[in-house]
Amino acid sequence: MKSLASLALVLFLAGCEGRHNWLAAAGEEARSVETLFWVLLAGAAVIWSLVIGAATYAHRAEAKPEREQEARRFILWGGVALPVLVVGGLLVWGLLILRDITADDGALTVRVDGERWWWRVIYDTPEGLVTTANEIRLPLGERALFRLTADDVIHSFWVPALGGKMDMIPGRETTLALTPKRLGNWGGLCAEFCGGAHALMRFDAIVMEPEDFEAWLAHEAQPAQVDEGDPGFAVFDEEGCGACHTIRGTNAQGPVGPDLTHLAARDKLGAGIYEMTPETMARWITETHEMKPDIDMPAYPDLQGARLDALVTFLMSLE
Amino acid sequence: MARSRDRKTVPPGDAPRVIDQGSVWILVAAPSIWAAHFLLSYWVAAIWCAKLGRGTSLAEPRWIIAGLGGLCIAAIIGLAVLAIRRYGGVFVIFEEITESSERARDRFVGHLALLLCVLSAVAILFTVIPGMVLGEC
Amino acid sequence: MTQEIDLSKLPPAEPYDKARDEAQRARLMKVWQTPTGWRRISAVNNSSVGKWYLLTSFAFFTFAGFLALLIRAQLAVPNNDLLSQGLYNQLFTLHGTAMMFLFAVPIFEAVAILILPEILGARDLPFPRLSAFGYWCFLIGGIFVCGSVFFGVAPDGGWFMYAPLSSDPDYSGLGADIWLLGLSFIEVSSIAAAVELIVGVLKSRPPGMRLNLIPLYCWYVLVVAGMILFAFPPLIAGDLLLEMERAFDWAFFDPDRGGDPLLWQHLFWIFGHPEVYIIFLPSIALIATILPTFAGRPMVGHSWIVLSAVGVAFLSFGLWVHHMFTTGLPEISLSFFSAASEAVSVPTGIQIFCFIATMLVSKVRRSVPMLFAGGALAIFVFGGLTGVMVALVPFDWQAHDSYFVVAHLHYTLIGGMLFPLFAGVHYWYPFVTQKKMSDKLGRWSFWLMFGGFNLTFLPMHWTGVMGMPRRVWTYDVTDGWAVLNMVSTVGAFIFAAGFVVLAVNVLWPRGKAPLVERNLWNAGTMEWSAEVPDKPWGVRSIPYIHTRYPLWEQKGLLGEMDRGEWFLPDAEEGKRELIITDILDARPLYVQRVGGPSYLTIGAAFCLGAVFILATFHLWTLTLLFGAGFAGFTLWWLWTGTAEIPEKSEKEAGRGLVLPTYAQGNSSPGWWAVFITMTGDMTAFMGLVFSYFFYWTALPDFLPGAAKLPGFGWLLLGLALLLAGWATGLLARERLARGGPAQAMALLLVGVPLGAAGVGAWCWAAWRAGLDATETSFDATVWVLILWLGLHLLLDAVMRLYVAARIWRGRCTPRYRADCVNLTLFTHFLALTAVVIFALLALFPMLMGVA
Repeated sequence: MKSLASLALVLFLAGCEGRHNWLAAAGEEARSVETLFWVLLAGAAVIWSLVIGAATYAHRAEAKPEREQEARRFILWGGVALPVLVVGGLLVWGLLILRDITADDGALTVRVDGERWWWRVIYDTPEGLVTTANEIRLPLGERALFRLTADDVIHSFWVPALGGKMDMIPGRETTLALTPKRLGNWGGLCAEFCGGAHALMRFDAIVMEPEDFEAWLAHEAQPAQVDEGDPGFAVFDEEGCGACHTIRGTNAQGPVGPDLTHLAARDKLGAGIYEMTPETMARWITETHEMKPDIDMPAYPDLQGARLDALVTFLMSLE
Repeated sequence: MARSRDRKTVPPGDAPRVIDQGSVWILVAAPSIWAAHFLLSYWVAAIWCAKLGRGTSLAEPRWIIAGLGGLCIAAIIGLAVLAIRRYGGVFVIFEEITESSERARDRFVGHLALLLCVLSAVAILFTVIPGMVLGEC
Repeated sequence: MTQEIDLSKLPPAEPYDKARDEAQRARLMKVWQTPTGWRRISAVNNSSVGKWYLLTSFAFFTFAGFLALLIRAQLAVPNNDLLSQGLYNQLFTLHGTAMMFLFAVPIFEAVAILILPEILGARDLPFPRLSAFGYWCFLIGGIFVCGSVFFGVAPDGGWFMYAPLSSDPDYSGLGADIWLLGLSFIEVSSIAAAVELIVGVLKSRPPGMRLNLIPLYCWYVLVVAGMILFAFPPLIAGDLLLEMERAFDWAFFDPDRGGDPLLWQHLFWIFGHPEVYIIFLPSIALIATILPTFAGRPMVGHSWIVLSAVGVAFLSFGLWVHHMFTTGLPEISLSFFSAASEAVSVPTGIQIFCFIATMLVSKVRRSVPMLFAGGALAIFVFGGLTGVMVALVPFDWQAHDSYFVVAHLHYTLIGGMLFPLFAGVHYWYPFVTQKKMSDKLGRWSFWLMFGGFNLTFLPMHWTGVMGMPRRVWTYDVTDGWAVLNMVSTVGAFIFAAGFVVLAVNVLWPRGKAPLVERNLWNAGTMEWSAEVPDKPWGVRSIPYIHTRYPLWEQKGLLGEMDRGEWFLPDAEEGKRELIITDILDARPLYVQRVGGPSYLTIGAAFCLGAVFILATFHLWTLTLLFGAGFAGFTLWWLWTGTAEIPEKSEKEAGRGLVLPTYAQGNSSPGWWAVFITMTGDMTAFMGLVFSYFFYWTALPDFLPGAAKLPGFGWLLLGLALLLAGWATGLLARERLARGGPAQAMALLLVGVPLGAAGVGAWCWAAWRAGLDATETSFDATVWVLILWLGLHLLLDAVMRLYVAARIWRGRCTPRYRADCVNLTLFTHFLALTAVVIFALLALFPMLMGVA
């Protein structure tokens, strides 16, 4: 019993941290569900104890045939009337929350397109579209509307700390409204199995002060600062990276892979799975499929020494 | 309603009696009405929202669904009256009908049908709730 | 026809005569003997087939459980590289697939085949060879699907195979084909079992067992088999569409060509959610049978439990979209399914309250089966409560596809299905083997499994709350999921250890252990009337039943049965005989002769298996050859084993009861089997009709312009021809009944070209309009509807030739014409199918103002 209690305590404490936690109360939508969760959990604990208590008592008690009518009333009230009221009430409450957390508009519109296995992120700004990938920054306290699509297979967009998930379905556009309420770097995940590297399809959802966010977005909208004759860019160009990747402000305009214009400004590499460091970048280029199996990007194991260093230095300069 | 005990002279036949005394259709009738109402409600709302787009008001479908629900519950009440007659008219909901006779079998079917009527009516009420709470597609 | 029979006023039995008793026993033994040695595989009796079914299901369970351990081992620590990404994806797909399709559903069939006839005091099910056929299909299909993992080509798209991941050959390989065709094949065996069990409960009850006296187990079997009949066919329709897209590039799920990936989800979950209850109800049925035994009294609220079973069966068909809450459907649509998901908890709860009430008024004997039943209750109630949570849309938006749902589904399935099943294993083991399992090992296995289970899955709810999505093969230490996952892994191995103890307890050789006494638990249901040691005939004579718990409430019944004082105590004609009774009051209608051991069923199953396996590899010529082999074996089986003209038109069935030995129309089980099978077939067809309307609702321009519609004139001509073909079937039946076999044969044969011309006219109409199934979803839908009809017409043609040949050879006569009557029943459904297709292709576009 004691070990159970301590286990419960460990679990409880473990649940209070974690960047993917539903109960982190980092978003308005998540908070609504959090309330629901605690009420349901408490209710479930009470009901479970009562039912199992009744069963245990009934199993141990002596035969009482004279209590048949009582047993039948127990079925009628406990098994019929009470459940109808409880689940009916929960249904209404659930619907009210549903009505509150769905919205068709937001202060900010972000289009996210699920790809195998990364996220194309496009901010809808009055000045036009701003494309980035695998990292979503959001202003604190403002409702963001996500317009979700997918090209290849079904994915699902989920930032547990901010709110619920929504599938991204080829041929359809779905929407999800999220209103961040706490600053921080919250984890985002693909929740619908999409084959291969589904487990490694992550992103960071970073909640910022609105003014910081505006500055970041303005910077993100700028083209990259690439020096004429940068040796790293020369390698990038020679190896044909631009056929798939775009670096705005250069001749690299490939639409297939993630936009790299401000690659080094992102926290993570490889769709939210590795720290953005020169070392991981070098490995990513040479040992791509050990880093993330099955992905379409080819590995460049022959790219070594000075050329690799130049390329990594160049990529890490794309802030 | 004719009582089965008067039926000594009727040859049993081998078909399941579908319509008259001894019929078992009454067992699936009430849940089938629920199913019909459920599917109709789903179709009304799905076609309404698919053809008119998101954000459309649900005022009309709401009342269509509730109206259909009312009709269905009325039909179920009708069934329940039939069921109570077959059951015997005594509302002892926990009676165990274990006698081996046609009349007992008939009463059992009536009892079961009555319970299914209640369950189906509750389920229909549950189906009407969403339209009342949600205002638009 | 039969006269009104008052079973309570039959003449008394003849005085006991030892010599007669022994002679009768010897004849029964000769007729019902199970073949020995390697010939044993030709056995068809329910006790043999049931045992094989049970052991095979548990073998697949062990296999799938082993996969689960590999999964847990991989997830034990963060960034583990024990398994590769590709292998892990295969393992979890196969784990879910095997548990659902190769264990949970087949085990229901296995248990029902094994104990249902005995609970009904019957000697066998009405179609023993069909059960055997179903078993061999299951074995072949299961080995095919599971074996694929050893070649690295197991399905890897998750057990619900969402399109486009599963439909586009760029994203999925052979594994998806193996999944689709292998499981379609197994679904055939499930539907075969469902037909068998429905007819068994409706028509094979012992004389006198009226509707109000049917044991609870049989109600559940009836309800669940009925659910299978309505739930599996939509998946078969979905499988057909998905495989047509994979193999021939038909446009069903590709959004670029007017397809929609969500259609697969609808068709899958229309099957998939009732499936959960198809798994759960039969196990609850086991508890409903075990509990009264240990409580020593009838169940309190018998009709309430029947209400729950029927109510759950219906409501469970209104839940499917709750697996699709996050697909962006309008909130109002989601809410209906949320409402039904909440409503279904009411009848589910009633059953549990009835169990508790029964225990409340009685003194419950402690036993291992009751221990497992109690564990089941504790686990299942928890799973049910989390089910109420995830049925709420906003909650589900967080919980969906996370480990919370993984925990929830394991709580419901293991609590609602596995633990009751283990209770049943301990309870019925003496019934099957006449030996008793060790109680000590039983308790050990219970506590290990109960503890291990909760240690695995209770923390898993929290893993889900911490945001871990399901189906991920690895995670990082910074995710904060490491401790919880390690705990779950440890729990899984403890759980597995408990299962090993149970398996040892079951498989332990008990050759020298003493036999148990007869009815050792002092149960009230008929299966415990079996003599010890048991006899292959099941019951010595089939008794008259007039109570719910005959062994408690009908004093002296065992003695009367053993002395052969009841029905069919003998087998003078050397045939396996059953009594068929009516649905309402179980009045005896006739004596059915059923087939004995046969290799034909194995041949048919082997060929059908080959058809599905070869189709996976697109070896079309061989597929056709084996298809012909399947048809050949099946026809041979039907020709030699069904609707045989009896040597005498009626026989003495005991106690002065004289019953006919042949039946046709709706008093024969064969008619019911055709009716039920075709109901399932119509349901699959309704899946296609649903697809048509789904596209119409979801796509604004699904219906093409008038020029692209099949021509109305040709469609009408085709319909007229098809209906004329149907009319020939009806007329043939009438002519045969009036003594005109030659005319009947001619009419049957004329129907074949009429049908071919009818479907030909439709093909021509579609062809002329330039419909190309690889172009748009509309074209593909039209072609699949015509294909569906064409396949049925092919079957119709084969059956017409078969019946004509039976008439020619004098095996189907004006007096004994069951084959012809059953064929006509089939053609009714065919005509209905044709009319509906006509309405979809010709009338609906007109109604929408397109044509």
